[in-house]
Amino acid sequence: MLAQAGAADKHIIDAAGVERGRKVYAAECVTCHGPSARGAQNGPDLVRSLVVLHDRYGSDIGPVMKKGHPLQSGAKSANLTQAQIEDLADFLHFKVTDTLRSSPLFHAQNVLTGDAKAGEAYFNGDGKCSQCHSATGDLKGVGAKYDPVDMQQKFLFPKPAFGRGGRGGGGGGKQTMVTVTPASGPAVTGVLDKIDDFNVSLRDKDGEYHAWTRSSSLKVKVDDPYKAHYELLDRISDKNMHDITAYLESLK
Amino acid sequence: MKSIRLIAAMAAISATLFGQGALDPAKLLQQPTDTWPGYNGDYSGRRFSPLKKINSTNVHNLSLQWIYRIPQGVPGATIKATPVEVNGVLYFTVPDHVWAIDARSGRELWHHTHQSKGGIHIGNRGVAVYGAWLYFETPDCQLISLNLKDGKERWHKSICDLDQLYYASVAPIIVKNHVLVGVSGDDLDIPGYFESRDPETGELQWHWSAVPKKGEPGFETWPNEDAAAHGGGMTWGTTTYDPELNQIYLGTGNPQPVIAGKGREGDNLYTASIVALNPDTGKMVWYFQPSPHDTHDWDNVEVPVLFDGKVEGQNKKLLSMACRNGWFFVLDRATGKALVSKEYVKTNWAKGIDKRGQPIPDPKKEPQFDGALVSPNQGGAANWPPPTYSPDTGLFYINANRAFSVWYLYDIDEKPEGWGGTDRGGYTEALLQAIDVKTGAIRWSHKWEGSGGRSGLMSSAGNLVFAGDTSNNFVAMDAKTGEPLWHANLASSVSNAPISYELDGKQLVIVGAGDSLFAFTVNEK
Repeated sequence: MLAQAGAADKHIIDAAGVERGRKVYAAECVTCHGPSARGAQNGPDLVRSLVVLHDRYGSDIGPVMKKGHPLQSGAKSANLTQAQIEDLADFLHFKVTDTLRSSPLFHAQNVLTGDAKAGEAYFNGDGKCSQCHSATGDLKGVGAKYDPVDMQQKFLFPKPAFGRGGRGGGGGGKQTMVTVTPASGPAVTGVLDKIDDFNVSLRDKDGEYHAWTRSSSLKVKVDDPYKAHYELLDRISDKNMHDITAYLESLK
Repeated sequence: MKSIRLIAAMAAISATLFGQGALDPAKLLQQPTDTWPGYNGDYSGRRFSPLKKINSTNVHNLSLQWIYRIPQGVPGATIKATPVEVNGVLYFTVPDHVWAIDARSGRELWHHTHQSKGGIHIGNRGVAVYGAWLYFETPDCQLISLNLKDGKERWHKSICDLDQLYYASVAPIIVKNHVLVGVSGDDLDIPGYFESRDPETGELQWHWSAVPKKGEPGFETWPNEDAAAHGGGMTWGTTTYDPELNQIYLGTGNPQPVIAGKGREGDNLYTASIVALNPDTGKMVWYFQPSPHDTHDWDNVEVPVLFDGKVEGQNKKLLSMACRNGWFFVLDRATGKALVSKEYVKTNWAKGIDKRGQPIPDPKKEPQFDGALVSPNQGGAANWPPPTYSPDTGLFYINANRAFSVWYLYDIDEKPEGWGGTDRGGYTEALLQAIDVKTGAIRWSHKWEGSGGRSGLMSSAGNLVFAGDTSNNFVAMDAKTGEPLWHANLASSVSNAPISYELDGKQLVIVGAGDSLFAFTVNEK
């Protein structure tokens, strides 16, 4: 509760009430206030209405109706029942939630706007994708695996994302390797465990843990398999991005 | 001379009003030594400590003095607040909670808990102190005043409306007899504002709206009254102050709707801007807009840092900000005129700068239905964690991110409202950038291994910059070269900005990481 926006005693939306309220709204309000309740030529925006935002279960909407408010059926608003007013309140509070960042209405639209042939040319040319990948090899049938927006994310950001910035492309399966060469001993290669300015650690092929304090005499060579993807971010245009998405989606 | 008279007047007020134990207001006008009197230390926002007992030659001996851990039972307690230190006592917050602890030992003196009525509990930046009184904001839109000595509440006042999904997280700033408060919230299309409150009563002294009304300057940058009145521009950053010019400086947040900007054509003043206000009246003196018509959630609420410097042979009063949009600006703070406009990390959203020195957004890099690849991402090249400026090196230091994400429009309605889209994915590099304020050039850049944590900074006369890295390390670096000289792993990312003070001849550096405050010092024999 405390992590959520708004007052602790805010109107809790009842799903069945929303559906009943939708019918009341369609019958009496939509002509003036518009299908999304964001206002129209003859009626103000109700999503931004302080009456709605301050309302709890009809507490503020009810008095407006009782006082008298034009309804599209021509009926008297004062005759709306308390149940109808509460349903209307549920519906209008629901329309407010439609605009929040967590809105269930919000999802990616059509991202398949590119040219698959141009994408193929970029894949094999300036994009340098074919230096590591093949449409008939590792990417065979990849278009059937991911929907277009996830595909777009996957080739741009194959590693999981950090911090704010939405959901990541997620779950790259390739591991970062590191080779550490101490001044006194042989090089050790393995999967990078952790590195910062002061320490480095890895797991070797047998799963053994090795760690060192970093110094000028300790050589550390990191091999990140996604390096080419990072470099692509500075070169790729939005057109290239959409073309590649279309090309990869065509690989069913 | 004017400053000296002001200091004398403020000291006289303090002695009369508060007696022993209270904050001497003159401390607010001095560099912080035995006191860290406000969120940024002094009014300049430099977060530069003139202390040098801890310095680049002995920092390798820096060792732990004490740890204060927030008691269990405070959910989600991450210390984002910069502590204020007055007369040997530290005051700091997490949402709904304030603590007073002994600055020498870390021992708890009191703990105040506010019974919340809701709101977003994302963080709290700390307290302000005026004489013997303390002020803090709460997620449920209250400005609360406590007695400094025992943490007992004096009064509380509502400063925003929870039903419109405002909340409050800012550390208030005291300027003369004004408690300056900002507000937060970008879920619904609501206007941002900034207020001055009476320190004795909490009553409103003035109210400045971040969006203009019809007929006011700036209204021409909105398509209609409805768009302007719901145009956002939250004031959730920090405020700095020049007593000689009698101007306060603050940033404003993104316009609303956040991502879908089609219903608010124009520059959308005074959102995503830096503004100078008169602290006695709230009247705007000038503005500068780093992100005209922002559509990337790039709140421009980073710290406006004040310093003086020579420009074309003349002494100038300057202001710098490393903005969330990836650009660094140096302005003449008397007028708002831009002297330097330059990226401090590479970005791809601007076509250049206009005659005022403001970036010109590339419309193709606005969020699109099929996606636009943009750098920086929503979190930005910088965010609220404070930067630092060292007058010794002439460098402005910022813990920066170079990040990409794809920005999508989601809202297909005729009239998008609220958010209307978001960004997804991300590649991030974390860098500590040392920027030459004369040119905006990067003097040195230290790339942290990995990405993630982004801490605030402090510089000192000991040729040091203190920072958090991306691996839970608290690091002291050579301010001139960026070489890491010392570190301690704190098991959590540094979550606030460090401060420093000297008590009984001993200099301490205090930093917050997760639910704990850590104190470090160099011990002498």
